[in-house]
Amino acid sequence: MNTLQFKVAIGITIIGLLSSNPMRAQVSPTTPKAPSGRIIQGPGIETSKPFLTIIRWTTDNPGGSPEHYGVVHYGGDPKNLREIAKSPIRLNPDHASTVFRVRLDNLKPGTTYYYTVGSMEANGADDGTTSAVQKFTTSSEARTP
Amino acid sequence: MKRTTSIGGWTICAAGIAAVLLSSGPVAAQNARNKGTPSYNPYPPGILPGDLNSELERVLREVDLVEGRALARWHALAASGVRGQPPTLQNTGTELIETLGELMNFDRNMSPNRNEACMSCHMPYSGFSGPIPSVNLTIIAYPGTAHFRVGKRVPQRHTYAPFFPVLQYNQTQGLFFGGNFFDSRATGFLLRNPDAEQAQGPPVDTQEMGFPDAACVAFRLTTAAYRPLFEQIWGAGSLNIKFPKSTEAICDTPGGASRFHGSATPIPLTAEDRIKANEVYGHWGQSIDSYEQSVQVSSFSSKFDAFLAGKYKMTADEMAGFKLFNGKGNCNSCHLDGRGTSMSGQDISVAAQVNPLFTCFGSANEGVPLNPRDAFYYQTTADSYGFIANPYGFGYRDLGLGTFLRSGFGSGPNPNSMWNKYAPTVDGQMQVSTARDVAMTPAQCPTTEAGSTPYFQKAFFHNGYIKSLKQLVHFYNTRDKYAYPVTSGHCPPGTIEKVTCWPMPEVKNNIDMTSGNLGLTDKEEDQIVAFLRTLTDGFTRPYPNMDTFTGKCMICDPAKDPNCSPSRQGNGSLIPTPPLPPCAAAICGVPPVPSSPIP
Repeated sequence: MNTLQFKVAIGITIIGLLSSNPMRAQVSPTTPKAPSGRIIQGPGIETSKPFLTIIRWTTDNPGGSPEHYGVVHYGGDPKNLREIAKSPIRLNPDHASTVFRVRLDNLKPGTTYYYTVGSMEANGADDGTTSAVQKFTTSSEARTP
Repeated sequence: MKRTTSIGGWTICAAGIAAVLLSSGPVAAQNARNKGTPSYNPYPPGILPGDLNSELERVLREVDLVEGRALARWHALAASGVRGQPPTLQNTGTELIETLGELMNFDRNMSPNRNEACMSCHMPYSGFSGPIPSVNLTIIAYPGTAHFRVGKRVPQRHTYAPFFPVLQYNQTQGLFFGGNFFDSRATGFLLRNPDAEQAQGPPVDTQEMGFPDAACVAFRLTTAAYRPLFEQIWGAGSLNIKFPKSTEAICDTPGGASRFHGSATPIPLTAEDRIKANEVYGHWGQSIDSYEQSVQVSSFSSKFDAFLAGKYKMTADEMAGFKLFNGKGNCNSCHLDGRGTSMSGQDISVAAQVNPLFTCFGSANEGVPLNPRDAFYYQTTADSYGFIANPYGFGYRDLGLGTFLRSGFGSGPNPNSMWNKYAPTVDGQMQVSTARDVAMTPAQCPTTEAGSTPYFQKAFFHNGYIKSLKQLVHFYNTRDKYAYPVTSGHCPPGTIEKVTCWPMPEVKNNIDMTSGNLGLTDKEEDQIVAFLRTLTDGFTRPYPNMDTFTGKCMICDPAKDPNCSPSRQGNGSLIPTPPLPPCAAAICGVPPVPSSPIP
């Protein structure tokens, strides 16, 4: 095979690759929903700063849409968790477990909060993994302006 | 096969002659046009890089060189006849339209002052991103035809952009996919090709190539050296538009000028000619897309491609980085590599495709801090044309996809009102760019990372806050671990910005929490950087026009400069963010308003 033929062959190969439909394989798939999910680690406080609290937990891979939300219901009364915080994460289809992390901005300093965690698909479908009520107390340190 | 990646001697000769011809006339014309027009300089001292003028001139010379090469290649192509139905340019049609797109991309005449081509901000040697190291270090966006109006975002790499699908909202997944631009505003709704519609943006962007009317592209094409090629491909007579005498003066004036009174179509064309001009503009985009999808730009010729083909064995660090990319680093949850992800570090998946694009076509808010060096914040006064780029100054917030869905300031019209309601769920989101060619640099500056070897300064993320790949990986790894409630330039004593202090996000809504505290070691960060370098095209065969860089590499001495390291790269150029006014109502007050107030 001379140089020209080789270049032609390479070109044809490349064109073949390019002309295939890459979109189907490229877009994250929606995977089968797990029959039942469970929390396998946490929830716990990953970060506790006067301006930012991050709650973290790990579940079995819930399956479903590639984007999920970690959801935290919280408040000062364990029987009335009126506030909701949620943060998106990207699901890995071939991943055995999934880490959820949720940001809670600008909580009151020196205050005890109660919370439960759960997760859902981007369209709102619940993953069925909800924790018992937990609590934490924010730092009494004054906020940095 | 006419396409070659090696340029023969005759070609270089012809290109050189063409470049001289191209560069002499337009420069003289540019000087004549700029004569008497004062430069717009609303910037405090030190904002614009000192070498800006000479660097812009340098890039223009390089642009002209590539244009000359493309002209030579066109003239060397065999004649192509139209055959069959639908009519097809047999044998050389593909290369002809790709060459037309290249000629358009490198045509500096496609700007009022004939001083800016598309590629003035996207040269091949930088992965079709910003070609000026000092700009990447400082103002991050590039000056337009009217000096010194400047855009607001980093020039996004063109490589692999043609593979993004038409913007869609996937009801099942609850996600937007596709489009082009960081805010996905080139949706592809009309041409069914986001990359082609992306190519229609900069020529009429007031801070970029700056035509006041899209018909100016058709007008300038009528005198282009490659007009015969355009008509060969798109039809004889396709440029036969009756332009009124006022057209030349209109197209010589940058968009946004007060004399146009806000009109987007100041050239008084008949309805029939306006339709023709719009068709030409569609063909402009489609031709450029052909070039960008070709192996000249998106070539799948990296070490990683060779690795997938079993023709390259990764080094130990590259392989470790690949496993971290898939596993602990979780990078391929968005930058899809065609393989699965395993936290165990063992790749147990089956290759899903042979040409992974390292993007998911989606968008995410990574919580990047506001970059006060972005020149956009300072363009609050009128230039000599009466145009104000950013009346909100530091009250501007870049909500990315969210602003686009609201058809908001600094973006484009949203063609689908059904999407409007999703704006609060995507505020702050920017398109997930391909990781391919993120590390591409000119050969004489072999790395993006500051240190003991010459390097090419790049800028990462939409606002260029990140200056090295090490910083980029470190940001994903520690954004939340080293979070501080400060703005850039105000990290507390005892911390180092971008090393042990990350200022607060510009937009705190919808921050993606897949990353932010990955637990990677310093060595593991470096290994991911080593892997990212395997995604640079040009390994299995030469990457076209990589030899065109004639600027200087960055050089620093680690023994003398504490910021001469990948971790602290660019920290010598940090400036304190001024006290930020609230987000302007014209941005954050547009319904549906953000889900929580954006400070």
